[in-house]
Amino acid sequence: MKRLLLLVALSLFVAVPAVQAGAASRGEPVTQVQPGQLRSVQADFIQEKHLKILARPIISTGSFTFQAPQSLRWEYRTPIRSILLMHGGKVRKFVERDGVLTEDKGMRLDAMQVVLAEISNWLDGRFTDNAMFTVSFPKKQTVLLTPKEPGFAALISSIELKLGDQAGLLDKVIIFEGPGAFTSLTFSNRLLNQEIPAAVFTKQ
Amino acid sequence: MKPPVFFLLIILLLGLTGCAAQQPSLPELTVEAGEERRCAAVFPQGRWEFVHTIEFSMADGSGATVLGVTSLGGDEIACALMTVEGFTLFEAVYRDKEGLEVRRAVPPFDKLAFAAGLMEDVRTIFRAPSPAKVQYGRAGGTIPICRYTGVEGRITDILPAMAGCWQIRTYGADQALNRSVVGSSCRKEGESLIPEHFELKGFGHTNYTLKMTLIHVENLGAVGK
Repeated sequence: MKRLLLLVALSLFVAVPAVQAGAASRGEPVTQVQPGQLRSVQADFIQEKHLKILARPIISTGSFTFQAPQSLRWEYRTPIRSILLMHGGKVRKFVERDGVLTEDKGMRLDAMQVVLAEISNWLDGRFTDNAMFTVSFPKKQTVLLTPKEPGFAALISSIELKLGDQAGLLDKVIIFEGPGAFTSLTFSNRLLNQEIPAAVFTKQ
Repeated sequence: MKPPVFFLLIILLLGLTGCAAQQPSLPELTVEAGEERRCAAVFPQGRWEFVHTIEFSMADGSGATVLGVTSLGGDEIACALMTVEGFTLFEAVYRDKEGLEVRRAVPPFDKLAFAAGLMEDVRTIFRAPSPAKVQYGRAGGTIPICRYTGVEGRITDILPAMAGCWQIRTYGADQALNRSVVGSSCRKEGESLIPEHFELKGFGHTNYTLKMTLIHVENLGAVGK
C-alpha cells in the first residue's frame, strides 16, 4: 500500500502531464501547470475503504506533504495514527501502538526503491511511458491507470484519477482491488509550492 | 537484517499446534449450577460488524499493526485484514456447511494454514463452541466457568465474569492451553457484552499476542431467512 500511496501522491502532479498528453492528443487546449514548476504539494484527504463484507465503508482521515524530488510525508490521523516518511533515500513508517508512535521495522525497502525509481520517471513527465501502467482517458477529467504486470494486476485491477476543474489537480483517486473492493481518496485544502522544512519528512 | 513483519505474522499464526512444556494446563472444575445465560452473552447473536485495530507482537518484540473487519451473520463469519492505509491483505468467509472460502490473499498471506489459523482465532473470539458436553462450575473455588468439550477433545472455557468483562481459554486434547482471549472494558449491546479491547495470546511453537481495539461495532439486526 505504501507503493500505492506514492502513486497517489505522485498522481497529484503526475496527472498534469498525463492529462496534457491526453488533451493534446485530442487537439484540446492545454493550460495546465508544467510538471517542472511544481516543487511541493500539501493536502488533506478523506479515505473510504469499501469491501463486500462491510455494511458501510471504513473512513480514515489524514494529510500528506510531497516535495520534489523525492520527499513524502503521508499521515493518517484517524482511525489509527500512522506516518510514512521518505526523505534522502530513506523510508520510515510509524504506527501508533499502545498510544505511542512506534517505528514499523518490517517494511520492505527493496519494493520502495522500485517505487522511487518510478517517481523519478514521473517527475520527468514520462508518465505515458510508464512500464507499470497502461494509461487511458475514458472521459474528460478522468485518467485510468491499468497495471501491465499480471502479478501487480492481481493486487490492483485499476486506479482511477478524477481531476478537478482547477489547474489539473486531483480531486479524487479510486483504487480498485477487485469486485466490491476499492479505496477512494478525496483531497481538499491543497497548497502548492510552499517552502517545507526538511524536518517534516524526517520527524514524527 | 530482520525478516519482514508479515512473514513473522505468518510464522506466529502457523505455530499454534505444538505446546511448550511450561504452558498452563486445564484447571480443575468444581461442577455446580449453571451460568449458561452469562456465557451466552460472550458471543454476539444475529448480524454484527466489527472493525478493530490489531496490534500483533512476538516474544522478540517485533510486530505490526493492521485493521481487521469481522462480519457475523447466521452460520457465516467473514473477516478481512488490511493495512492501516486500507490495502486488503486477506479476506475470507467461513460457513458452517461449506467451510472456508478465501476471497483474497496477498502473499505471504496466501498459505492455507494461515487462513485456517486466522479463522480459528476469529471463531474463538466470536463463535460459541459446538460442544459434545457442557459443564458449569468454578475453578479455584471462585471463578465461574462454562466448560465446552468438543468431540475431538478440545476444551473451551468461558469465564463470563472477569473484571466486568469475560475471558476465553481453549485447550488441546492434551489439556494444554493453546489460546487465551481476555476482553476488557466491556459494554452491553442488547444481550451481548462487547469488549473495547481484546488480548489474544497464542501458545505453541511461537508465542504471539494480538491486541485488538474496537473502532466500530454495529448490530445489523436479526439473521434473515
